[in-house]
Parts: sequence; structure tokens; C-alpha cells
Amino acid sequence: MLSNGIVVEDRSLVEGCYFRAVALLFDAENCVRCSAVRAVSQWGQLLVALNPDETKRDWSDALFVQLCLMIRDTDMEIRVTAFNALGKIQTVSEDILLQTLSKKASAATKQKSYPGQYTAKLFKVPATAAAFALVHGLEDEFYQVRKSACHALKMLTVLSAEFSRGVVHILIDMLNDDSMVVRLQALETLHCMAMHDYLKVEESHLDMLLGSLMDNNALIRSAARKTVHLTKLQKLAMFRSCIESLIKNLELYPQDEADIFNVLYKIGREHGKFVINIIKEVSQELEPTFDGHLAMNNVRTAALLVLAISAPMSLEQKICSIPPQIFSYAVTLLDRLSCGLADVMDQNTILAYLSHCSRFTFASASENFEGQALDSHLKDIRLWKKSGEICHLFSESMELKKVTSLLHGNLLDPHVKKASFSEAVLRKMVDLWPLIQLGCMNEVIQTLRSWKEELRNYTCASHRPDGASIFALKYLHVIKLIGKAWACYSSLKNLQFKGMGGLEALLIKTERRLKEMLYRFAGLSREENLHILELMLVTYTLKFSYGGTCCLEYYMNRLNFVLSRVEYLRKEGSLELSDFVIELQNISCEIGNSEDGSINKLCLLQKCLNLFSLKHFVLSRELKYLDAEVDVCGNDFQNPLPFISGLPVGIPVDITLYNISSEIRLWLEITLGESLTQFVFLDLHEFGGLNEMRKFTFVAPFYKTPNVKYFSLKVSIAMECMSESHHFKHRNGPKYELVHLCKGREVHLSMAVK
Amino acid sequence: MGIECLVLGAGQEVGKSCVVVTINGKRIMFDCGMHMGYLDHRRYPEFSLIPNSQDFSDSISCIIITHFHLDHVGALPYFTEVCGYSGPIFMTYPTKALAPLMLEDYRKVMVDRRGEEEQFSSEHIVRCLKKVTAVDLKQTVQVDKDIQICAYYAGHVLGAAMFYVKVGNSAVVYTGDYNMTPDRHLGAAQIDRLQLDLVITESTYATTYRDSKYVREREFLKVVHKCVAGGGKVLIPTFALGRAQELCMLLHDYWERMNLQVPIYFSAGLTIQANMYYKILINWTSQKVKDTHATRNAFDFKNVISFDRSLINAPGPCVLFATPGMISGGFSLEVFRHWAPYEENLVTLPGYCVAGTIGHKLMSAKIPTQIQLDEDVQIDVRCQIHQLSFSPHTDAKGIMDLVKFLSPKHVILVHGEKPKMATLKEKIESELGIQCRYPANNETVCIPSTHHVKAGASDAFLQSCLCPNFKFFKTDFERGSDLDDDFPQGDECCSTVQPGEEGR
Repeated sequence: MLSNGIVVEDRSLVEGCYFRAVALLFDAENCVRCSAVRAVSQWGQLLVALNPDETKRDWSDALFVQLCLMIRDTDMEIRVTAFNALGKIQTVSEDILLQTLSKKASAATKQKSYPGQYTAKLFKVPATAAAFALVHGLEDEFYQVRKSACHALKMLTVLSAEFSRGVVHILIDMLNDDSMVVRLQALETLHCMAMHDYLKVEESHLDMLLGSLMDNNALIRSAARKTVHLTKLQKLAMFRSCIESLIKNLELYPQDEADIFNVLYKIGREHGKFVINIIKEVSQELEPTFDGHLAMNNVRTAALLVLAISAPMSLEQKICSIPPQIFSYAVTLLDRLSCGLADVMDQNTILAYLSHCSRFTFASASENFEGQALDSHLKDIRLWKKSGEICHLFSESMELKKVTSLLHGNLLDPHVKKASFSEAVLRKMVDLWPLIQLGCMNEVIQTLRSWKEELRNYTCASHRPDGASIFALKYLHVIKLIGKAWACYSSLKNLQFKGMGGLEALLIKTERRLKEMLYRFAGLSREENLHILELMLVTYTLKFSYGGTCCLEYYMNRLNFVLSRVEYLRKEGSLELSDFVIELQNISCEIGNSEDGSINKLCLLQKCLNLFSLKHFVLSRELKYLDAEVDVCGNDFQNPLPFISGLPVGIPVDITLYNISSEIRLWLEITLGESLTQFVFLDLHEFGGLNEMRKFTFVAPFYKTPNVKYFSLKVSIAMECMSESHHFKHRNGPKYELVHLCKGREVHLSMAVK
Repeated sequence: MGIECLVLGAGQEVGKSCVVVTINGKRIMFDCGMHMGYLDHRRYPEFSLIPNSQDFSDSISCIIITHFHLDHVGALPYFTEVCGYSGPIFMTYPTKALAPLMLEDYRKVMVDRRGEEEQFSSEHIVRCLKKVTAVDLKQTVQVDKDIQICAYYAGHVLGAAMFYVKVGNSAVVYTGDYNMTPDRHLGAAQIDRLQLDLVITESTYATTYRDSKYVREREFLKVVHKCVAGGGKVLIPTFALGRAQELCMLLHDYWERMNLQVPIYFSAGLTIQANMYYKILINWTSQKVKDTHATRNAFDFKNVISFDRSLINAPGPCVLFATPGMISGGFSLEVFRHWAPYEENLVTLPGYCVAGTIGHKLMSAKIPTQIQLDEDVQIDVRCQIHQLSFSPHTDAKGIMDLVKFLSPKHVILVHGEKPKMATLKEKIESELGIQCRYPANNETVCIPSTHHVKAGASDAFLQSCLCPNFKFFKTDFERGSDLDDDFPQGDECCSTVQPGEEGR
């Protein structure tokens, strides 16, 4: 077989070998055909890779169809090999994939044919050769073939949602297979589909899927639970039968308890409304018996309690209406809970969460009892709302704490620690957005602050903070700003008054911070870039909200500029845009087209703000933070540098640069008071050193020394952002917008004493 | 000399399969069946058309029977004992075991119950079967110095086989009935890729494209479960061998999985006995049954109980397997008479019912309806009817797949309906570029056969054939030789370059 080491770049050679291998698919000997299948697969993949993009797809389809021929071979091993090979193909047209599920030639495949060999004499393979191929594999007599076919499906379902929909029916049938390996592979394929959000479980399928929970093989049960906990159930009845099956699973196989609790908790979190319905129905069962003992040995009760305590965690459930005493009952399960929820929270957290929930809802309940009037009722609802969310928040910060404690415990490489901690923070951040939307800013700020401290602790511990931690810190800051701005904006919306100055200042600050994030990090992935740009768009959209028409055009331009960058990123990286951005694109298009109505359309802009939510994104490890330090050695107001009024003066500046490549246009900015700014270009090629760190002394000339005895200058380093279109008016200075890399260092000068 | 193919039965029809093929002067008869639809002379193939029909033993080199169904074996005792053929007969072991049962059963029904003229006696059957040589799968049998035969697994029913026959350089495959998709108790047809001049294939479902078997199974289980859950009785009329075991295994597994307690009955007689044969002939069943039979024999249906006449009107739901399959009489008709008038009951029908049977009437009827059982008995049918689409025959896709896999020079279609065969012929010719015929009964088709002529080839020529010269735009010798090693078929190339040339 093709060894992996060799590199062949001659397309005609590869093509020759491919067709030679194809010809041998029709050999009389089984072992030859079997090797030929492997050869076709390998050469075919090389051939696909060597083709230019426009023909790649066709060749990939050709290979797929060619291999499909072999799945009707009468030799079992050849069929297994063929399915293994099919599973390796990276791209296949949707038409052909759909054809593999049906015997009837579809309109799309009827006329198509590909280069290859259909029989010993026909040198074109019709696309219809793929007909029913995958179903044949699933129907096969040999479990090896069925397993291999299931595995190939796992790879292929990722390619098309419609194909996945078609496959579900037949894959569900595979759960009925006699062979354990086939059932397991089928479940894994289903799980993979669920991960890609391609799994739509219908009521008729659910029985089969849930039946796997009762399988006598532990692996199958575990795989089935993995799949079940990812499925989104449409109806209460489906959810109920799912819970019943899980409970039955627990009754039959008590050894699965930890895993089942975990699934119950997670599935409950996803289906908060259903949980509350079910808990209402069974609340009697959960009450202690007459002698005051809870029937904790009863697995059913335990399972239902786990389900119940998941409800406040649900995002869809704004109102927490699980009776508070249930949380206190659940405390008795603490040991078992902490086993099951080990990946979500630790024992202390669970205890804290449970006691918190039982207390909190007690308070609201009593309030509810007192409040008779309508408005007090409304107030209650708001309180309820908050209590639910706060529970949520509470648990989130608990979870976070758990992350840190875990990290403390492990003596890992500090770099790994930091990275995973910043990742944890970014992950949790997503959950803060609903709180911001609800206006619980105090809680948000508190949480952000605690996170920030934690992060700081980490970053201070090490010699120099890494890019990712700094990014996380900056991100926390930006979210805080946006949160505050949002709070301002919503109070504005509700109360129709309040000064706008605060909001405007916040937004300008936010914009600046965002720009910094955009430019001061090297190695930002497209995803990260896109995220920052999206936050920028939010800022601009918020800006439109207070209707300040004075700079409308400027902000409109900015908005369009950012949108075009987003569009560019999307095209380049095939990223998916959020609903918010897409809506914004449409609106800005509309505004661009209409001459007069731009102001009327502004309200549309505001509406689309509601579509926005924070997304989780993974930080790339290679983030580098561009930083600079300036110092003028020994200079302070008691030891000023001498100068002669009217003549230029040289200021010896010690400059340390971190992660700045020589391509970046750096400027030394020297400001005198508020009015006078002078730029000196720093050509990094002159200074040598490595990009990671450069340290040098630069004597900067300052020309316009004033006619005074004493004055002070501010020296700082700024970077020109080449991709910002905005022009600067400085002569001999930077043409584009600047981002400062350090705080200004004050330099004191006094007239030279003769 | 070519290959001469005389179709004596199953030409453009289903029934009395019998094809006489003359290859390079040797005459071989494939199957010797009877037509169940006729009672006159048309029930047997027209043996007199065979050249030199005074002495069949002389004119026919051997007879090959593919499986035990009467339309493939029914005329054999008549041909051997009445017409006097005494040459070799080949069939697989299970066919040899089961064929006499089928023949005896048929004889009893015809003679003892209907009082018809006896075509052959029990003694005939016994004597006939004595002449049979049983063969195993993939066992090459040298019939005489020219004829080689070999049996391949065909699915369809227990012991069914396809036969490969080679006379000199010409080779033919006669498929008999076969199934390309495995079912619960039997595997899929399995054959090697052979060099063939002719494939004679059945074409029962020449234009049918069947859905996935899982869908069919799910539908069947759904209706049965619904019926018994509603307290109804399910009547499943089947033939004793084949579908009965298949459906029973399906139900049995489902019963175990769903933990159902509703009794499943088998009507006494042949079916229970048939299950025993299945247990003995475990090697001829599907891979799954073979794999599991060490721990549990799949034909030990522990939930299945033998049915007693007194249970017909017993209260409560049940499932009953009863013969015959098309409700043409016997026990299934008796039970049908009792159960049909009640809405909660269910009757399943096999995929194919002969015209004139109750089954056929039910297929086209709209429920509720009235059905005339005989001149003065008429019953109301209010029960549900479910037509099964389980079939032991391959569908059109399967036929195409097999023909494509074997890629013979010619194809002859038998055992099918004329218009459908025409459609399939078109498809084979246009898609695969293989010539295809579907002769009517008593028609002869001639096709050319293969002869190998010996030709010499020098060593140098062979050497150069073994190392084919690739010509490429860029030549990198080192890399090229690397690839030659990696290229797996380097040494197998010789199988395509034989030291002999093909010619006619």
C-alpha cells in the first residue's frame, strides 16, 4: 500500500495509477479486488488533493461512486474495505449522498456520470451506481460490514443536513441489531450527528433510542445516554418518556447511577419548562412519608430530585417555580449528587447551591404571599425572575470557583493553568449576557470583578503575563463597559430621560478598548477577530440609540466599514455570522439604498440589538500581546533634562518593545500640553533585536522647545493601524489611526543653567 | 459450436422452471418443475422437444435442481420414473432432504384429497431421490470428463443454490431463484466473479424496487403489535418453509424485546417438522444464525406453541402461523372463516397470491367486504388486512447488481412476466451493454461460446507484460520504482495476461 511518507505531485502519474487500480476492481480474484479497493481509495484521495478547487468536488464524487460499486461485491471483506474507504472521503455532493439512500434514480443524479469504470467494458460510472449503497451496507448479513457502514455514515452525515435527516430513520433501526458492535457504532454515529445538531428525533424513533438505555451492555447504555442528553425534545410527552426510561435504566442497572444523574441534570437544564411540568405532577411522590422519612432509597425519587434541582439552571426558564423544600430534600443526596455532577460542580458548590436555592425562593414565596395588589404582584414576578437568574449566576460563579480550585490543586505547568483559566472565564462569560439584558448590572460587575482578581492573581504570579490572559482581562473590561452602556441604554428606553453624556463616554471608551484589542494582539484567529468586530457593531448600534444625529454620518460610515470587514472575514474563513450581524447587514443595506429614510430606519437598528448575545469562543494559544515600555533614565522633576529655548533638544528614551515585528509602523509621540504633538518615526530595522523583545535607547529630538524656564513633555509609543481607513492630518506624521502601546511617560526639562 | 438454450418452462411466465442448455455438445437440464396453475398436460415441461427424446438418459448428460420448490422440482419423479431418465441428478443436501417431503405432500393433496389421477407414486419419489447426488456449496463436481459443476449459495430458501457449469471453455451460470438481501434466517446470494458466456437468471421482480428491509419489518411489527395490543387475533398464513421461519424469528425477537406475553402458535404438521430441518441444516442459514447457534439455536422458538383446533375460539389475543399461504384451503382457511368477521383481528397476506385463491381476492378487496368461499358459503370480512412485502426473491436492483457483478457476455431472463422482463432487458442492454434475451416457452436461443486457442508467447514478451511501462510527463525513476513496490497488483497482472489468446 501507499506508504505515507512519499509525496507525489505529478498529477498524470497519480491519475495513471488511479485508473490502473480502478481496472483491477474487476479482477476475478477476491484478494486482488480487495487490495484494488484500498489502492483506489488512496490514489483517489491523492488525485482529489492534486486537483484544482473547481474540479476537486467532481473527482471526489467520482471516487465515491466508484467505491460504491464495490459494496455489492459478494465477498465480505471487500465490502468492509469499501465502506472503510467511503468513510474516508472528505467531500461528496449532496445529490449523491441522497442517492445512496434510495433505489430510484433521482432527477439530480440521472444524467450525471463520472470518469472511472462501471464494468470491465464501460468506462463511465453513472452517478446512479451509488443507489442504495449505504442502505445495502446497513442491511448486510455480516456485522463487520454493518459496523463499517455505520462508521462511514458517521463521517458522511457531517457533510449534509438533509442526508442526515434521511439517515436517521434507518440508523434508528440499527439500534435493533443483534450485534453489539453494530449497535454501539450506530449510537456513536447518532451521537456524532447530535453533536453537529443534525439529529432530529421524532416520536416514532424515540422508543428505539430509549430502548437502548435498557440494553444489557453497559457500553451501549452509556453511549445511548450520551446521545439522549444531546437531543432536543419537542414535546412534553417525549421528554416524559425519556425521563421514565432513564429512571427505568437506573432501576435496572443501579451501577449507572452517577452517569444517569449527570444526564438527568443536563437534560433538565435544557428543558426547564418540561421539568417544572413534571415536578408539579410528581411533587406528591417527593414529599416525605408520614414518619418523616424521605424515600431516598427509592431510586425514582432520587432521580426526580436530580431533575428538579436542574430547573433553575435552565436558561429558557425565567421563573423558578420548583418548591424550595425540594432543594433541601436534595441535600440528603449530596454524596450521590456530587458523584454524578462531578464535571459540573463540586460537593461544596452543590451544597451552597442547594441551600441558596431553598432560601432564596422561600423569601420570594413569602413576599408573594403578602403581596395582594397587582403592582406588588408584578414586582414579585421581577423578583422571581431575578432570583432564578441569580441562582444561575450563583452557580456559575461557583462553577468557576471550582475551576480555580481544581487548578490550584494540580501542579500543572503555570502556562497551562493560565490558559485554561482564561478559557474558563471566556466560557462563563457567555452566561452573563442574559443577566446584562435583564439589567442585573450589580451582580454582573461583582462577578466580573471577582474573575478579574482571579485572573490577576494568575498573571501576577508569573513573570510576564501571556497574551491570552491579557486578552481575557481586556475582554472582561470591555464586557463591563458594554454592560454598563447597555444598562444606560435600557433605562433610557424605559424612562425617556437621563443625561446622555454618560452613555456616550462609555461608548467612546468601549470603542477605543475594542480597537486596542483588535490591534494589540498578534495571532488573533478569524473567529476572535469577528467577535471583536461584532462587539464593535454593538457599540455603534448602541450609539444610534440615543438619536444623536450630529455624528450620524460618521458612525454610519464606521458601521459600514466594520460590516465590510466582517464580510471579508466571513468570505475568507467561511465563518458563520450571527443573526445580529446578518440583520445589521440587511438594515445597513436598506439605509444605504434609501436617501431620506435613514433616521426612520434607526429604530430597526435598535431592534436588532435584541438579537445579540455573547458567543463562546476558544482563545488561540499563540496570542501575543504587543506592548512597549518607555523610560527616560533618571529623569524626574527634581532631575530635569537641560534645554535651550528655541533649539531642538534630544531626549534619551529607553524603549522596550514586546512582540513587535519590524513591519509595524511605530511612532514615538511627544506631546506638549494639549496642543502640540510631535511624531518621530521609529524604524525598527535600525535597532535590531528579536521580535519577542527589543531593548534600545533612542535619542528623540524635540524641536519646538517653548520659551519657558521649565516644561514637561509626555512621551509614549503608538502604533499605526494600517487597516483603519481613517486619515490623520499630521504632516510628516502617521497617516492612519494610532493605537497607544504604553502609558505616556512624563519627561521634565528645564532651561540649561550656564 | 455455440450454446443452445431451450426453454421448456418459466419462459415469460412463473412456474415449471426447466431450461435445457447444450454447451459444446453436452446437454444439461436445469430444474424440472411443474406448473401449479394447470392440471392438464401443461403442468409439465414439454419434454418431447428435447432432441433425441426417445432416450433421455442418452441425450441429457445431467439434471441440476436448484431448490426444493415444486415449480423447480415437481416434475422430477415424473421425468425419471415415467419418462425414464436414469442419468445423474445433482442437488444440494438440504434440497435432497426436503424435496421428497414437498413432493409427497403434493401427491397426497392431489391424489388423496382431490382424488385426481396419480402422476407418480410415493415409491416413484423414493426411487427418484435415490438417483440424486447431493453436493455441497463451492464443491466442484466433475460430472464427466468435460462437465464441471459447482454450487453457490443463493439465499431464497433453505438449500437453494445457483449452479455454475463449465463445458470445455464455455461456462454458464443458472441462478434458479435467489435473494440478494439477507433476511433473518437466510443469507444473501454469494458467488465468485467468474468468466461467463451466459447467465440465466430469474426475473420475478423485474421492475420492483423494494424499500429497506428494516422499513418492512417495522411496518409488519407495528400492525401486529397494534392488533394484539387491542386484543385481536393475528392470522399469518404462510408456506411451511421459509417465510414462516423468517416471520417467526422476527416476531420472536420482538416479543422478547418488548416482553410481550401474547402466545404465538404454529399450526401443527409440516411447520414444526420444518423447524427441525432448519435446526439440523444450520450451516445453510444466515451468518447470524450460524454465529449464535452455539449458544442458542435461533429456531428454538421458546414462545412458540403448537396450535390446537380448540383454541380457535378461545378468548384473548394471539398470533397464529397456518398453512397454506394463500388461504387456498386447509387450516388457514378454516381459521380465516372464524376470525375474518371481527374488526379487531388481522390477517396478513403473502406478497404474491395466485389468482383464484382467497388471498388473491382479499388483496384487491376493500374492507369490509363479503367473500364467497364456495357456492353456498359466504362470509363477511371485517378484519384488517396487511399485505406483507417480504419476499425471498431479489428485486430489480438485485438482479442488476448480480448481472453487473458477473458481467457475462449474454443474459437470458426466465421466471418472470413478459412485459416486466422486456423492461429489464432494455435496462441490462442499455446500462451494462450486455446482450439480453427472454425467450418464451419451447423457444430455443443460440449464443456463441468461447474457445481458447493455444498461442505461444516468448519469455521476453511475458516479462514485458509483467512490468507494464507507465508513460508519464515527468519521470522520476527512483520515485517510480517506489511506487511499483507500493502498487499492490504488480504480480497479479499475470492473471489478466494468460499465455493463450481468446478467440471464437
